[in-house]
Amino acid sequence: MKWNRRITAVAVALLLLCGSAWAQNTIKVGVVGPRTGPAAATGAAFEEGIKLAVDYVNSKGGVMGKNLEIVFEDTAGAPDKAASGFERLVTRDKVVMVLGESHSSSALAEIEVANRMKIPFIVVEAWADEVTSKNYRYVFRAGPSNSGVVNKSIAKWAAYEKFKKAFIVAENTDWGIGIGKLTENAIAKAGIASESMITERNSQDHYVELTKIKAFKPDVVLAYIYGVGLHYFVAQAGETGVSSKAVTLDGAGPPSLWPDYWKNVGDYGNLECFVSSMHEKVELTDLAKYYREAYTKAFKKAPTDYKSRSIFDGILIAADAINRAKATDAEKLVQALEKTNLKTTRGMAKFSLEKGGPEYHQWEPPMLVIQWQNKQQVVLYPPEAATGKIKR
Amino acid sequence: MLAISVMNGLVIGIIYALAALGVSLVVGIMNVINFAHGELYILAGYFSYLFASALGLNFLVAMLLALALVFLLGIAIEYTLIRPTYGNDMYSLILTFILSIVLQNAYLLIFGPYPNKPPLWVTGASDIFGLFLYGNQRIAALIAGAGVIAVVFFLIKKTWFGRIIRATSQDREMAELNGVDTTRLNMLSFGLGCALAAAAGVILTPVFPVTPTAGVPVALTAFVVVVLGGMGSMRGCVVGGLLVGLVENLGAAFISTGYKNVFGFIILIVVLLVRPSGLFGRAKI
Repeated sequence: MKWNRRITAVAVALLLLCGSAWAQNTIKVGVVGPRTGPAAATGAAFEEGIKLAVDYVNSKGGVMGKNLEIVFEDTAGAPDKAASGFERLVTRDKVVMVLGESHSSSALAEIEVANRMKIPFIVVEAWADEVTSKNYRYVFRAGPSNSGVVNKSIAKWAAYEKFKKAFIVAENTDWGIGIGKLTENAIAKAGIASESMITERNSQDHYVELTKIKAFKPDVVLAYIYGVGLHYFVAQAGETGVSSKAVTLDGAGPPSLWPDYWKNVGDYGNLECFVSSMHEKVELTDLAKYYREAYTKAFKKAPTDYKSRSIFDGILIAADAINRAKATDAEKLVQALEKTNLKTTRGMAKFSLEKGGPEYHQWEPPMLVIQWQNKQQVVLYPPEAATGKIKR
Repeated sequence: MLAISVMNGLVIGIIYALAALGVSLVVGIMNVINFAHGELYILAGYFSYLFASALGLNFLVAMLLALALVFLLGIAIEYTLIRPTYGNDMYSLILTFILSIVLQNAYLLIFGPYPNKPPLWVTGASDIFGLFLYGNQRIAALIAGAGVIAVVFFLIKKTWFGRIIRATSQDREMAELNGVDTTRLNMLSFGLGCALAAAAGVILTPVFPVTPTAGVPVALTAFVVVVLGGMGSMRGCVVGGLLVGLVENLGAAFISTGYKNVFGFIILIVVLLVRPSGLFGRAKI
């Protein structure tokens, strides 16, 4: 009996030792994003990017000689869950840094926690300017911002295509309202007449909105609607005859690339435009080529949702900062992040240190404007990356 | 603008009414609020998508199969989850709420996060009296929805089964004394309520693709319509559904598109202020 007890005690002690040794051999980084809820597709894209990034980082020696471990916390796209999930990552999982997010409203809740708990946070796909314009020391963004996408891509593309009248329709979220307002101003500066409206985020039916749009007779409709709502909008724009008169631009991107896009919108999806940081024929770096090949090998399909690549880049940036900081101390990590100059799939990542506006701690990767032409993606803008001309 | 708003209000209203009828039936007879109503609507959508797209069955066969399966699932839910809670409305409320969360997560696991829909019954759009273009699938959904509502009313008002349902909802004890097996009636009624959610699902899925969480707003609107029309009132469901559909569309057209979903709640508050028991009061099915 005594021996039994001794053996059990030794076994438990060994298990604990092994557990702690294993724990010491990894450095944990948290990821926040919607794995459930209306934007769960982003969570699926994040999971793919995380797998590839962890394999890549660990195959290159990991972080500070240890393996990188990612803990993914579901935010369900709800700010309250996002804030508590962020806090759990820090207090329960002891992560040294957090990254991710694709909902602006969730990110705006999370940056407050990051700032209060003094934990470096790299936002990868929440576009609201307020994420970085609050100039929080611990908050970075390695991804598109509303002002960046509008001023560097959408408004310039609209002027380039010589559109005369634009209708802006935006969902009633932090992202939608923010980017809609910025577009109004940028379009006006470009000399394009415009009208705008806010639409309900969860609305399945857009017939009334589309009737108003049709009455304005625009030559371009700039739609800032995320998720399945975009599919409803494109299909109904076709039914109501709006898309036969005007080009529609999906100002978010991924929903136009989701697997069932064509099944849901039918032929009305042809000639629809969308923004994306990824295109099958435009690879900005050799890492982008590596990513495409690794993705295709791992998931037996071509990458479509660019958010999987955004989180991949985010994890590389985090791993690089930890390696250069040679510490997991938040202050040293922030200093390392501020000195980031890393090749990613979307070009050289480098955070701006210019204070006072949304540029602070912001790296804006280039975005493309792409059009579906007979189910082929044709890059329209910027001109140096264009693979064809717009069709109307 | 007025013409298309009214047309769209009628179409959306019929859909709301159809979704609410199942809730109303179950509330009227069993005094049970099924929080998983929206998830059963979604399940029927997924079934019809699977049968029509993956198995290649005719859309009508796919719809009927989906309806039958959800009806059977409803019976199973009543037998396993609801029946043991009789006498305590709160337990059934909590159980169906948990069921809705479990089903949402199961859909996410099985079908993934992306939207799915079966093939359209009819494609293209029609010119309505030279005023506006309107999707043919929506017109088909309007006709199918109105047809299902007519069948339900016939079943409730004109058949022996309907007479039993009405008698039980008016006085359960008296119905039992007259030989009605209310336990079996509960089971059939719950199954029928679920089948009505499924009917709305299979009719609407070609228009509005389904996602794991798409049932939440459907159920929410159904509850609004049921309360607005009067708990348990079938006629109230139809009038309430049409009213919410019209108010939402006219409000979006002439006030603001950003508050479309708020208009339904405003009309609910106004009606409840004037008639606390809803438009048609307590059920007289």
